[in-house]
Amino acid sequence: MIGIIGKILIDLAFASSLLAGIGYFTYSRNGNDRYFRLSSWLMGAEGLFILAAAGVLLHLLLTHQFQYYYVFDYTSRSLPLKYLISAFWGGQEGSFMLWIFFTVVVSLALMRWTRKPYRGPVLFFMSLTQVFLLSMILGIHVGGIGIGSSPFRTIAEAMPNAAFIKSNPNFVPADGQGLNALLQSPWMVIHPPVLFFGFSLMAVPFCFAMAALWRKKFNEWIEPALPWTLGANLCLLVALFLGAYWAYTTLSFGGFWAWDPVENAALVPWLLGTAGIHLMLIQKKKNSSQKASIVFSLLAYMGVIYETFLTRSGILGNSSVHSFVDLGLYNQLLVFMLVMVAICIGLFAYRYNELPKNQGGTDYLNREFITFSGAMILFLLGLVIAIGTSAPIIGRLFVAHPTPPEISFYNNWSYPLAIAAAFMTVVGQYIFWKRQKDAESLAWQLFLPLVAACIATFTIIIVAHIHRWFPMGLLFGGCFAIIGNAFIMVQLAMKKPRLIGGSFAHFGFGILLLGIMSSTLFNSQLLDSSTRNYNSAVTKGKLTDGKGHRIRQKANFVQLKLNKPRIINNEYKFIYKGYTLKNQTRAGQQQYRIEIKPLHHPGKTITMHPQVYPMSAASPGGKISWSVDSDVHTGFASDIYLYVAGSSYVQRINKEIAQQNKNRKLGKPVSDVLSPDSTTVRKISLAKGKTAKEGPFVIKLVSFSRVSGHKGLPDNTQIAVRANLQVRRRASSTSQTIHPLFAIYTKHGKNWSYSPISRLPGQGLGIHFTNINPKTGQLTFRVRGIPKHSKKSWILVVAQKKPFISLVWIGVFVIVIGFCISIFRHWDIERRKRLLKQA
Amino acid sequence: MRLKLITGGIAIIGFTTLLMINFGHSISSYTTFPQAKNRGARVVGTLVKSRPTAFSVKKKQFTFYMKDKAENVRKVVYPKPEPNDFSKAKKLVVTGRMHHGVFYARQILMKCPSKYNATAKDVEAQSKD
Repeated sequence: MIGIIGKILIDLAFASSLLAGIGYFTYSRNGNDRYFRLSSWLMGAEGLFILAAAGVLLHLLLTHQFQYYYVFDYTSRSLPLKYLISAFWGGQEGSFMLWIFFTVVVSLALMRWTRKPYRGPVLFFMSLTQVFLLSMILGIHVGGIGIGSSPFRTIAEAMPNAAFIKSNPNFVPADGQGLNALLQSPWMVIHPPVLFFGFSLMAVPFCFAMAALWRKKFNEWIEPALPWTLGANLCLLVALFLGAYWAYTTLSFGGFWAWDPVENAALVPWLLGTAGIHLMLIQKKKNSSQKASIVFSLLAYMGVIYETFLTRSGILGNSSVHSFVDLGLYNQLLVFMLVMVAICIGLFAYRYNELPKNQGGTDYLNREFITFSGAMILFLLGLVIAIGTSAPIIGRLFVAHPTPPEISFYNNWSYPLAIAAAFMTVVGQYIFWKRQKDAESLAWQLFLPLVAACIATFTIIIVAHIHRWFPMGLLFGGCFAIIGNAFIMVQLAMKKPRLIGGSFAHFGFGILLLGIMSSTLFNSQLLDSSTRNYNSAVTKGKLTDGKGHRIRQKANFVQLKLNKPRIINNEYKFIYKGYTLKNQTRAGQQQYRIEIKPLHHPGKTITMHPQVYPMSAASPGGKISWSVDSDVHTGFASDIYLYVAGSSYVQRINKEIAQQNKNRKLGKPVSDVLSPDSTTVRKISLAKGKTAKEGPFVIKLVSFSRVSGHKGLPDNTQIAVRANLQVRRRASSTSQTIHPLFAIYTKHGKNWSYSPISRLPGQGLGIHFTNINPKTGQLTFRVRGIPKHSKKSWILVVAQKKPFISLVWIGVFVIVIGFCISIFRHWDIERRKRLLKQA
Repeated sequence: MRLKLITGGIAIIGFTTLLMINFGHSISSYTTFPQAKNRGARVVGTLVKSRPTAFSVKKKQFTFYMKDKAENVRKVVYPKPEPNDFSKAKKLVVTGRMHHGVFYARQILMKCPSKYNATAKDVEAQSKD
C-alpha cells in the first residue's frame, strides 16, 4: 500500500520535472518571468515529491517491510540503524534517488544564485538531466517496454513467474538478505552521498556551458560556473578518498587502488573536470580558449554519464568485482547517454562558427599555453583510463571476448603522464604568478627549486636504495612539485594569502605522487625465513610437486602457531596470541590477536586485531563462506597491513559443517560432529578456582553450590550440587559456561547417584559431574568428546609493509584544502559581482 | 600557425596509435582451459561442486575443480588460502595458465550475484521454512 504512494510520488516528481523543463525552455525562449516562476515552483514541488518518496523508502527500510524487493534485498532484521539507513543507497534504485535528490537541491541553489541571461537555459538543462534520472526509477510499462526500475516494487512484481509467488502472491519473507557485509562500514555510509553530490554538482558546468552556447555569451559564464565546478571536483576527490580508504582497510587485495571500473568511474570525471577548471581559469584571465573550456565542461559531465552507463548497464559483467547487477536499464542508459552527447555536439556544432577564434600566439611560454598543456595531460590521463575501462566495448576491435587490460596498461601510461603533470604544475605556477621577460628569466627563477629537488631526489635514491627508473622519475617529479609549489606558495602567502589555493593543491599533488610511488612500488610482503627460502627455491625452479612437475607459484602467507614467535623479514617478531569470538557485531566473528615486536625497538609492541567472519549463516547442506576484515597499523613512515587468510578455527568449523551435512544425508543426528572413535573420555578432578587442560580445552571450576527444591531433581534427593564450569578453547579468550548437576537420592532404601550429561553447545563436548570428595573439596568430572589428535591452534597471516602510504592521505587532504581555498575565493568574487549588479 | 597545427596533429595521431596498440596488447580474450597456454589467460567457468576443494597448509596451495564454458573440467591450483566468498560464487574468473593439465591461477575473481541481487531461489528457500 505504502509502496504505491512511493510510486505515485516518483511519478509526480517525474511529471513536475518534465513540466518544469518545458517551462524553463519557454522562459529561455520568450523571457516571460511568469514561466520562470511557475517552473521554479514545479521544481520545488519535484524536490518535495522526491523527498517524500525517499521518506517512504526509508520508512519501509526501517520497519522491515520485506514484501518490498529492495528492502528484502538489502536489509535484514539484525542490521543496525546506521546500516539500515545506508542500505538506502546500497542498490541502484536508491542511489539513483539520492542522485536525483541532490540534483534538485543543486537546482534550487542555482535558481537562487544564477543571474540572467543564463538562468533560463541553465535550469532547463538541469531539469533535462532530472527527467532522465527520474525515468530510471519510474518502473512503469508503456506499450510493453519497461521504463526504469522502481525501488518500490514488491517481490511479487519483481519475480512474477516464481512458483512460490504463483501459489501465494501475498508471501512476505520473514527476514531479508541483509546488506553485504563488506558494505557494513562507516566509510561506506558516507562515501555514496559525497560521490553523488559530486555527480550532481558536475552537472552545473555542463549546464552553464550549454547556456553559454544557447545565449551566445561565451565569456561571462565562467565566473558563476567556476565555484560549482571546483565544488564538484572537491566532492569527487573526497569520495575517491573515502572509497580508497575503505578498500585499503576492509578488502583483502592489499591496496587502495586496483583500477577497477567502479573506481575509474569517479576518477575519469574528476580528471576531466580538473582539466576543465584549468581551461576556465585561462579564459577568465585572458578571454581566450572559450571553445576548450566549453568542450571540457561538457566532457566532464559526459564522463559522469558514460561511467554511469558502464557501471550500471551490466556491460562490465566479467571485469569488475563490484559492478552493479543488470536491472535491464541498458537501453535506457544508452538513450540517456546518446541524447546528451547528441545535444552537446549538436549545439556546439550549431554555434561553432560564432565561437570566438583564438588568435594564435607564437610564444610557448605564456600562461595560456602552459595551463592548456597541463589540462591536456589531465585529459590524456582521463582518456587512457576511460579506454582501459571501456575494454569490454572497445576491446571487441581486437578480440572476440575482451578481458579488462592488464594493470600494467594503466600503470605504464599513468606514471609518465603523472611525472609530466608534476613538472607542469611548477612551470605553470611560475608562469602564472610571476613575470618573465623570456625563457631565460624563467629558467633563472626555476633554478633554485630545481636544484633543491635534485638534492632531495638523490638523497632519497641513495638512502632508500632505489634502482628502478619509474620510481626515480616519480620521486623527482614529486619532489620538484612539492618544492617548486612550496616556493610559490610562500611568496604568494606573503603578498595575498587568498591566492594560494592553486599552488597549495599542486603542492598536495606532489605529496600524493610520492605517497603513491612509495606505497605501491615499494610495497613488501612480510614473510618468515622458511617462506622466503621456499619462494627463492620456486624462483630457481628447484621445487617439484608430487608428479615431478616444477612448482611455479610463490607463497605470500605465513603460518603462526599459538604463542610461538616468528621472525619476519629480520625486522619483526610476530606472535599469535589467540582469538576472541565476538558475536555482537557479526554472528560468528573471530577477532584474532597478533603481537608484533619490532626487533630494532626493544620493548615496543604493536597489537593487531584482524577479523574473520562468516558472510552469512550456512544454509542447511551448504558451506560457510568466510570473509576477512584486515587490520592496518598506521605509522608515518610505514603502515603494516595484515589479514588472517585461514585458521585452525575456521578449518574446524568447516569440517564440522561438512560432517553435519554428511550426517544429514545418512540420517544420523546432525549434532553428532565428532565420531566416537576419534574422541576420548577423560576423568578430571578440580578444586574450586582450579583449571584443567584437556586436549584443546581449558576447563575451570568457578564455583559450586547446593541446590534444593529444583524441579529437575529425582525424588527423595538427599543432596544436590551444581557446579559452575567455564570451558574455553586454548586459543580463544571467549569461554562458555555450563552447570553440570550431581545428586544423591534414595530408592528402595539404597543411595544412588544422579549425574546427567551437560552438553556444551557447538563444541561436541559433554560433561558428567560424577563425584564430590568432601575431604579434599575436589569435584570429579567425566569429560566426553575430547578429540584424540588435537593440534595446536594456528593462523595464516598475509602481511604487507607499505612505506609512506600516509603521504597518499596527507596529499589528498592538502589538495582538498587547496580546492576549498579556491572555492571561497571564486565564490567571493562572484558574490561581489552579483551585489554590484543588484545595486 | 601551420607548423603548430601539423605538430599537434602528428602528436595526437602518434599518441593515439601508440595507446591503441598498447591497449590491444594488454587485453586478451576470455578463453577455455585447453587454449589457456599463455601467461595471464582468463577462463570463465563454474565450480564443480561434486569434486573436492581443499587447502593444504603444507603444500601452500588451494585446489579445486572448475568447468569452463566448453564443459572442460580442470584442476585449478591457487597459491593462497581459499578466497573470500569462494563457496558462494556463482561464477569464477581465473587468471593464470595451464601446465601439464593443471591450471595455475594467480588471481580468482568471484561473481556473487546474491550479494547484489537476490535470486528467486533465495526467496524460495525462505518460503519453504
